[in-house]
Order: sequence, then structure tokens, then C-alpha cells
Amino acid sequence: MLGSKMTTLRAFTCDDLFKFNNINLDPLTETYGIPFYLQYLAHWPEYFIVAEAPGGELMGYIMGKAEGSVAREEWHGHVTALSVAPEFRRLGLAAKLMELLEEISERKGGFFVDLFVRVSNQVAVNMYKQLGYSVYRTVIEYYSASNGEPDEDAYDMRKALSRDTEKKSIIPLPHPVRPEDIE
Amino acid sequence: MHRPELVTKLYEAAVRKVPSSEEYHSHLFMAYARVGEYKKMQQAGMTLYKIVPKNPYYFWSVMSLVMQAISAQDKKLSQTMFLPLAERMVEKMVKEEKIEAEAEVQLYYMILERLGKYVEALEVVRGQLGEKLTSELQSRENKCMSLYKQLERWPECNALSCKLLLKNPDDWQFYMSYFDSLFHLIDQGWEPPSEGEHCSEGEVRSSVAQAIAFVEERLAVEEAKETRPLRGPFLARLELIRRLRARGCPEEQELGEPLELMFQYFIKFGDKPCCISDLKIYLDLLTTDHHVQFINRLMETVPLSEPQDDGVALPGDTRALQRHLCVAQLSRALGLHHALDTTGKLDLIRQLKSHYRHGLQFGKSCLKTELQFSDMYCLLASHVYIDLWAETGDETMLWQCLGLLEEGLSHSSSNAQFKLLLILLFCRMGAFEPVVDLYSSLDAKHVQHDTIGFLLTRYAESLGQFAAASQSCNFSLRFFHSNQKDTSEYIIQAYKYGAFEKIPEFIAFRSRLNRSLHFAQVRTERMLLDLFLEADLSSSLEDNVKSMGLCPEEDDIPWTDMRDNRDLTVLTSWDPADRQLSEEQRSFSLQEELLWLKVRFLTLRLVGTLAVLSHPPTPRNAEKAAENGVVAKPDILRPLLDQLNTTLQNGAQFLERGVQYPFLGPSPTRLAHALASGSCHCQVLAFQLAAYVQELDAAALEETTEVQTQISNSFKSLLIQLKEILNKCKGDLLEVKEGQCKTQPTLLENLVFFVETVCVVHWVSCFCAGVLRPLKASLQKRKKKKKEPISATMVVFSGFQEFTAGLQSLFSEVLDHIKGQETSLTALKLGELTLEEVMPAGEEAFVKLAMDKLRSSYLRSLQELGDLLKKRADVLKSLKI
Repeated sequence: MLGSKMTTLRAFTCDDLFKFNNINLDPLTETYGIPFYLQYLAHWPEYFIVAEAPGGELMGYIMGKAEGSVAREEWHGHVTALSVAPEFRRLGLAAKLMELLEEISERKGGFFVDLFVRVSNQVAVNMYKQLGYSVYRTVIEYYSASNGEPDEDAYDMRKALSRDTEKKSIIPLPHPVRPEDIE
Repeated sequence: MHRPELVTKLYEAAVRKVPSSEEYHSHLFMAYARVGEYKKMQQAGMTLYKIVPKNPYYFWSVMSLVMQAISAQDKKLSQTMFLPLAERMVEKMVKEEKIEAEAEVQLYYMILERLGKYVEALEVVRGQLGEKLTSELQSRENKCMSLYKQLERWPECNALSCKLLLKNPDDWQFYMSYFDSLFHLIDQGWEPPSEGEHCSEGEVRSSVAQAIAFVEERLAVEEAKETRPLRGPFLARLELIRRLRARGCPEEQELGEPLELMFQYFIKFGDKPCCISDLKIYLDLLTTDHHVQFINRLMETVPLSEPQDDGVALPGDTRALQRHLCVAQLSRALGLHHALDTTGKLDLIRQLKSHYRHGLQFGKSCLKTELQFSDMYCLLASHVYIDLWAETGDETMLWQCLGLLEEGLSHSSSNAQFKLLLILLFCRMGAFEPVVDLYSSLDAKHVQHDTIGFLLTRYAESLGQFAAASQSCNFSLRFFHSNQKDTSEYIIQAYKYGAFEKIPEFIAFRSRLNRSLHFAQVRTERMLLDLFLEADLSSSLEDNVKSMGLCPEEDDIPWTDMRDNRDLTVLTSWDPADRQLSEEQRSFSLQEELLWLKVRFLTLRLVGTLAVLSHPPTPRNAEKAAENGVVAKPDILRPLLDQLNTTLQNGAQFLERGVQYPFLGPSPTRLAHALASGSCHCQVLAFQLAAYVQELDAAALEETTEVQTQISNSFKSLLIQLKEILNKCKGDLLEVKEGQCKTQPTLLENLVFFVETVCVVHWVSCFCAGVLRPLKASLQKRKKKKKEPISATMVVFSGFQEFTAGLQSLFSEVLDHIKGQETSLTALKLGELTLEEVMPAGEEAFVKLAMDKLRSSYLRSLQELGDLLKKRADVLKSLKI
């Protein structure tokens, strides 16, 4: 089912920030300040990939990083943002972008890949499950809400990479944690 | 840390004190990086490397040479000095086998590429050093491909493209490079060597027959799959047909009939929302007489129910819905919607609305953050309403369109396209108030202020909502002002992490923001707004001009290299290609924006000049000036006024071309309305008056008969012109006639021009009073002394008094008009309006909602304008000489 994206995949560049409105006007996609994007581009340029349609429109992008201690076997790839424009959904593009991020993390010798997702975002949670991710822990009130609504919990979801042969990194924690307790 | 140049001084002192400190030296390097001192960075990097021989320090120094090359004005110097030096520095490390990191190879590649040494670059990428290029996926392949193209090594380009396509038959860029290389090879008459490999990348497929076979093999693989096939090969076939057709190759026919192929594409992928984006690129392969046939064939395959009571056949699930929707989108893209007559269009709208409402049942469980499956029907119907309005001028169509979009938003509160179109429609109808909430619910932030901020700033001020306009400008300005600081920090980070290719990219990005058209616009408008709202009311014009740091002599807008960062295709459109925004229209829109910006900027500088020219009228000064005629002030008023006149002429010439933009594209600027209202010329006249008065001030009184006549004539003409603008504001903004609502937003825009012009006239009046008051005083003294009447000057003084009295009566007139409008708007009984004749009861509520928003917005605009006028009238009352 994967891969009917029909796309040009390439490195995200600063100029793409002027073209990503069709993706970022989605209510669940955050538009960050310039420093945030530049930080990722300066530090982990290979982890910031954009998909472009034959007509030149941006279809979606993934932004991630590598972090954690190698000694404690916590060196891993992290998905910071993943978003696909409405008209390019249901093509398996998000899955393809995740696959690329996993491959880069494999090359860097990561033990696992992880990501945070709103507990309410059932569509995304199910997609990640299908891609082999499982809930490692719940982070209480991870997403601070605006306009008076309550803060929302996040699932920290993980998928073990080949270096973690015993899949130790994804054994679920028995209790939820607070945002200040995560690294 | 707002003064980064001080930081460099600090660390220069520190390294003098502790010359061996790695820490201080690296801080010094970063401090130089922050201010872009590339030469000093180069030296600092080398010093560091000598203290601590770590590779990154050495390459920091190399990169600083590259930056000197990039920033050098003299490109020859870059090519003959900086880059070759950088190259030699890297070569030295290569020879000594000291290359360690991927970033170092990356930098080497960058240098060779900038030197145009593509052969050498290729050797690096394909050689041992190239093995270090691993972080980015397909990094080596992508670099090779780009070099093959530079070197026009089409056999390699061809072979590599095919190899990559075999690995991933869905990667569009490689179809493009394959087809490019194919036709280059054909044109060159390339023949494969009689023996051995075709080229270093392997097999070359260089004939049309081979290309057709290659695409068909990829298709066969997809057709044989049990899972859903990839789209790439199917679209590649259409692409190849188009390219063969463009070259007049008869082999095109071997690939099949485009209509049939696109039909099959629809069968395979019609239930995907992107099917329309895929196919619309190839619609030009169909001949016009086949359009209807094509749509009919597609429609026959869409599973729909038996027609309902209203004659509309409906889909039973979301897949069928998506297919049906795709056919509707394709019909529009083929121009079939546009070809319908009014009745046909109304019937089409009826069907689309029926599909829209029916489709809502599939999305009952959708979250607030999700779109409804049938939302795009609603948008399509809105587009047809707009077509009808544009064709017939029937405003009912716009009202119904607003109602439909409000209805859509009530079911799908996150739909950005609904909001964007509502914003556009409300603005075009003269109502800015509802736009504020709509725009804020889009949650547009940061860089989006630059790309879509124009949606707010284009209309806020011109529709008389100065407070909101000010706020909109502030959002954008805050973003632009933080840019400089933000980017410097990450240029430094890029050095630290060895992301060398990002450094020039960040610098270009910073410059793109600094040179943004929107930045220059909001800066100018923000200052004008401040002046309209405050100058000579709560504080003096001089204080205002001073506090905003406006220097009228200076033109600091980068006119020649302005960047248009507006996202002009943010509103979805399925219009046919010839109705989409063209490159030419884009460039016209930029030209128009620049002309209008120039008008505004010159107006601002002229107002600033008034403040500079106003001098505290100490009696001694005035005496001296009047008697000696010596005033040492640079004459900037006249040159600026000449520039404004020229710009207005250019503006009028531009408008003569009658450029039209697509409705969903850029909005026209205020230029046309400004010229038509007469406000520009009235403002010119006011500044002209100031120039005359300045002349009077500078000359000996006896020689001023001519200028005095000009001044008193100007006073009279100003009143006449202001009155003419005011006449263009008269009439009802919103009128209900025979059950129909009619708006005249131009009246509101003219009223805003009137108010802006009154502000300028007010400042000029204050300037005149400042000059005339001491003049009059000194004359009266002279009169007493010499006992002789100087009657000529009386013309000016009495002229001024008549002028201010005339202004007062204009003020009463406009305030009466505003009051009248407010009363009649409030009295309008929209609730009792019966719209049933023209629309079903369900829609009426939404249309009335929109009407109410419009009325409320008009009232707010009137109130803001009225308040400002009242304040100015009060201050003017006390203006005496």
C-alpha cells in the first residue's frame, strides 16, 4: 500500500518556508518561529525532508533530529513534525517520510525512533501503530492549550531500530510521566 | 547583547590577554560570524587551528574564504583569489590524508562547484572521499546527477536516472532528468560504443523506442501488482506523450490516446484527493472538442444512486463521493463550468450544494480539526457564484456565496480555504471587521505574516479600520524586526555543526526577508497610520516624526531588488490554465504594489518634511527671515513633490493598461481608487501650497506678489477639491431595495481617502499657520512704525482665514453624512428581510448572518472615521494666525 506518493523528495530549504501554507494552515500543524526551523536546518539538515508534487506544490514534510546518550542506549531519532497537505493525504506519503527518517536514524546507529502525538489525534495514533510504533508512555498535559481549553496529554510512541536487538527501548512504562520528567 | 560589534571588541581584548585560550578564540570567531566579518573569521579560524589543531577550526577558516567569495562585489576576485585559495587549503588536507568528516567533503564539493570545476567535483563525489557523504539519503547520486547536467554528460545522466527509477519508479525528478537526457542524446545523434559499457553509470536508453519500452516496463510491473499501483509510471507516460508531441514525434501514438489513458488513470486513482492535481497538468493533451466526451465517460463510471426528488444522483460512500468530486473539479479545470449560461450555472450550483449537504453524513464522526469529505463541493459552488457575480454584476450571488461559506464553516470549522475565501469576499464588499476573527482563527504566525499578511493589511486601513490596521502592521513588523537577530544565531550554529551549505542559504534567507515587499509596506503604512491617528492631535507632528525616526531625506527602501514573498496561490483554484494567475500578472501585481508603495512612501516623506521645516516661531527669527529673506534650509520639499508627481503619472499610465487579476489571485492596490477619488491630486496641491508658503517665508515680502496669489488660489482650490472628494462619498453604503441588499464599498473607500487627505491638509494648514503667524505679527509691527498699509499680504491672511472657515463647514458636512449613514444602517431591518423568493429558508439564516456582519463592520468603520474627523475638527477650530 505504501509508496504511491509520486513525488520528488528532497532536502527542505529556507525558501520552502514561503511555500508551505497549504500544509501549515491545517489546525494540527504548528507554524514555528524562524529560529526553530533554522536550528533544525543548522544541526540536522538531513532530517528535514520535503515532498514536492509534479505541479510544484509542496505535499508534506518531516522534521526530526538525533539525540540521547549512546552510553545509556538512548541515542535515537526523534520526529518533531510530520505533516501532509489535505489534498495529498491517503497516499502513504507520511509513511514514506517516516521510513526515510527511520533509515537515516539506522545509519546513525540509533536504538529507536520516537515521537509525541496528541492522545486525541486518533488518526495519527493509528497510523503510527500501523507503522510499527507502540505507546511507550503517556506524558501528562504535554500540549498546553490556548483559548481556555484544558491541556492535553501526549503519547510518547516508539519503534525499535535494528541496533536494539532485544527491543528493550520500547518496553512500556507502567505509569504516566509529567513533561518535566522527560528529557 | 544588542550590540554585537562590542562583543567582538570584548573577545579581541580577551585573546590579547590569554593568547592561548581555545575558548576565547572560538568565541571571537563566533562574534565575527555574528557581524559577518569574513576576513577576520578566516584569520581567527587559522589562529585557533594553530593553537589546537582540530579539523573543524581549519575548515571554519576555509568556509570564511568561501563567504568572502560569495559576498565579494567583484566576482572576478572570488573566482581568481578567494575560491582557489579555499580549494588549495582543502587540497592540502586531502594530500595529507587528514580529511575526517562528511562536512569537510561537503565543503570541498561546494568550493569546486562554485569554481565551475565540475569534473574535479565529480571525481571527489565518486571517489573515496565521496564515501563519507552518508547522512543525507542519496546524497552522492543527487550530486552526481547535478554535475552530469552541468557537464552535459547526457549518457551518464540518462543511465543514472534509469537506475534510480528502477529502484524507485515513483520519484518524479528522475523521470524529468531521464526525458531531458533522452532528447539531448537524440539531438546529438549519440550512438552507444560498439563494445564495452555505454558509460560509467551503465546502460543508456537513448532512443524513443527504448524510452517507450522503459516506461511500459514500469507500467507492466505496476499493473501486475496485487496492491495499489504507484502513480509515477502512469503519469510518466503522459509526460512522455507531451514531450514527444511537442517535438512532433509520431511515436507518441504508440503510448496510447491521452483521453483513454487519463480515463484509465481516473479509474485507478480517482478516489484520491490528489487525482485532480495530477491530471490537471495534462489536460492540455485533450482537444477542446473531446472535453465533454471525456467528462461524460468519467461520470459514467462513478457509482451514484437513482436521482433524488431534486433530480440529483448521489454517491453512497466516500470513495464514490471523491470520484464524483474529482469529475466536478476536472470539469471546472476544462472550462466547462465557465461555458454554462446563467441558468446552467445556477443549476450547477444547486447540484453542487446538494452533493455538499448530502456528503456531510459521511463525516458525522469527524473531529473539529478534520475537514468534511464534501467540503470541496461547497468551495466549488462558491467559485461558480463568484463567476456569476463577475459576469452579471448581480450582488445576490455574492450574498448567497457568503451564506454558503458561512454554512460550510459551521460544519467544518477548521477549513482554511473557507476562511480565506470569506476574508477575500468580506474585504471586497467593504467589511473588515469579520476578517479579524477569520484571520486569527487561521493561526497564521511568523513567516506566514510575510506570505499571507497582505490579506489583512491590504484592506484594514482602506476600509477605515485604523486600529485593526495598526495592529496588523505590528504583527508583521515584530516578525521582520526579529529576523536579523534570529538568523545570525543560526549562522553561527551552522558553523558549529559543519552545515556549511546552510550558511549562504541562511544569509540569502535573511536578505529575502529584509527585502520583502510586505516589510516595506507595513513599515510605511504603520508610520502613516500613526500620523493619521495622532499627529497634531495628541502630540505635534514634529514629535511624532521624531519619535518614529523618520528621516525625510533618506530613501531606505531597496526598490531595485524587492522580494515579493506573497503567497498568491494560497486560495485553491480549479480554474482552467488560461484563467489561473500567470507569471505576467504576477509581475504586473508587483509593479502595481511598488508604484502604490512609492506614492505612500513619498507622501510619508513629504509629511516628514513639513515637520522638519516647521521651526519654532520665535519672533526674532521670524523678523530676520522676513527682512533678510535668508533661510538656510535644504529644499527637499520640491524634489520630493516632483517625484510624487512623476510617480502618480507612472501610476496613471500603469492603470491605462487595464491589468486584471484572477479573483482568487492578488487584489488590486488602492492606486486606481486613490486616483479616481481625486485624493492624490488634492494631497499634491496641499504639499504645493506648503512649498509656496515656504517660498513666501524665504523671500523678501515686496517681491512676493506672485507667490501670494498662488497661495490664495491654492487655498481656494484645496477647498474645491476636498469638496469634490466628499461628493464621491455620498450615497448609501448598504441599501435594501425590493428584498435585495446592495452595497457600495467604494463610497467607504472614498471616505477613507477623504479622511487621509484631510489629515494631510490639516498638517499643511498647521505648517502655514506656523509661517504666517510671525509674518503677520512682524507686519503689524512695521505697519505701526511706518504707518503705511501693505495691502498685498492681506490676501494671504484673509485667504487663510477663509480657508479654515471653509474647512470647518466641510467637517460639519462630512460628519452629518456619517451620522446619516449610521442612522440609516442601524434602522435597516435585516431580520425582516424576506429572502425566500431567492433562496431556501435554510440558507437564509446564513445569508442574514453575513449581512449582519457587514452592517456591523460598516458601522464600526464609520465610527472610527467619524471620531478621527471630530478630533481634527476640534483642533482646527483653534488654529489661528
